[in-house]
Amino acid sequence: MEQKFEKNERWNCLTEEYQAMLYRIAFSNLRNRADAEDAVQETFLRYIRAEKSIADREHEKAWLIRTILHICTDMLKSSWHRKTVALDESVTAGAEGIWRPYQVKDDETLEAVLQLPIHYRNPIYLFYYEDYSIQEIAGALNEKEGTIKTRLRRGREEVKKILTERRP
Amino acid sequence: MGIQEIKGKEGIPEYRNRKRAGQTEGFQESLLQNLESKKRQADAVRTEGHLRRNDREADAGILGARTGVRVNAVTPREAVRPVEVRHMSYEESDNIEIAVTQGYTLKGKLDGAQVYVEAKYEDGRLEAYLVDTAKIQEKTVHRIERFALETAESVNG
Repeated sequence: MEQKFEKNERWNCLTEEYQAMLYRIAFSNLRNRADAEDAVQETFLRYIRAEKSIADREHEKAWLIRTILHICTDMLKSSWHRKTVALDESVTAGAEGIWRPYQVKDDETLEAVLQLPIHYRNPIYLFYYEDYSIQEIAGALNEKEGTIKTRLRRGREEVKKILTERRP
Repeated sequence: MGIQEIKGKEGIPEYRNRKRAGQTEGFQESLLQNLESKKRQADAVRTEGHLRRNDREADAGILGARTGVRVNAVTPREAVRPVEVRHMSYEESDNIEIAVTQGYTLKGKLDGAQVYVEAKYEDGRLEAYLVDTAKIQEKTVHRIERFALETAESVNG
């Protein structure tokens, strides 16, 4: 009974701590509120199944990010996504009701980041908007730190290009 | 033929600045003074150019983006003092600046009369400063100083 209570407590803490962050990451990839919520739920379900194999808190966080990114990639590859044209939600609309530790002052730049190809978008989003270190991103994306640095630099150039093209 | 011409003493004009008998080091002294003043001028021009470049970089917020260049090393400003990085999260910060196109993020927190600023650069470097807002010039263009002022204003209203 006590064990069950402890497990429930831990579960509550986990969802409270990571839910918002996971939703933001999912939304940055899927740009759709319902899909982002599905991805978060699926991530937590997979966590319940895999919990025993996750070593510590740092690994736990990296595991959650890696898993939600995989789920998002799978969802984007699914026939449903490929055969339908999504009505893109704006960043502010999608983020409504979701807690952020800061206010996004420059929506235009965030929109440009979300338009990047996935291999640039995720490192840039995690580095700037979720405040992860290069080491943490490399761990979560299973890449070398040098690769992440290169993607950050090239991704930044791409963001500049998008913003320049938009401005008359 | 050339040799013959040189041999004729009258044909050779006397060297104007030749050291004459009884003349001491006047020529040498003036030469040294001239060289020194030219060196001073060149140094002044070089320093001015260096400072101007630093100001431009500070304004653009790319000071720390160049490998091996540190803000405290190139802009010795009294208001900004480098300190140990505290690894402050976004949640703990009073003010945040996300500059994707310039490759850095800044986090600021009011710390007594000073502002603690943590800068994270695209190449992975983390740098931290304590900024004494009382020492900042009103129209400063220094990125860290401006951010510290913004942070203090956002907290104090």
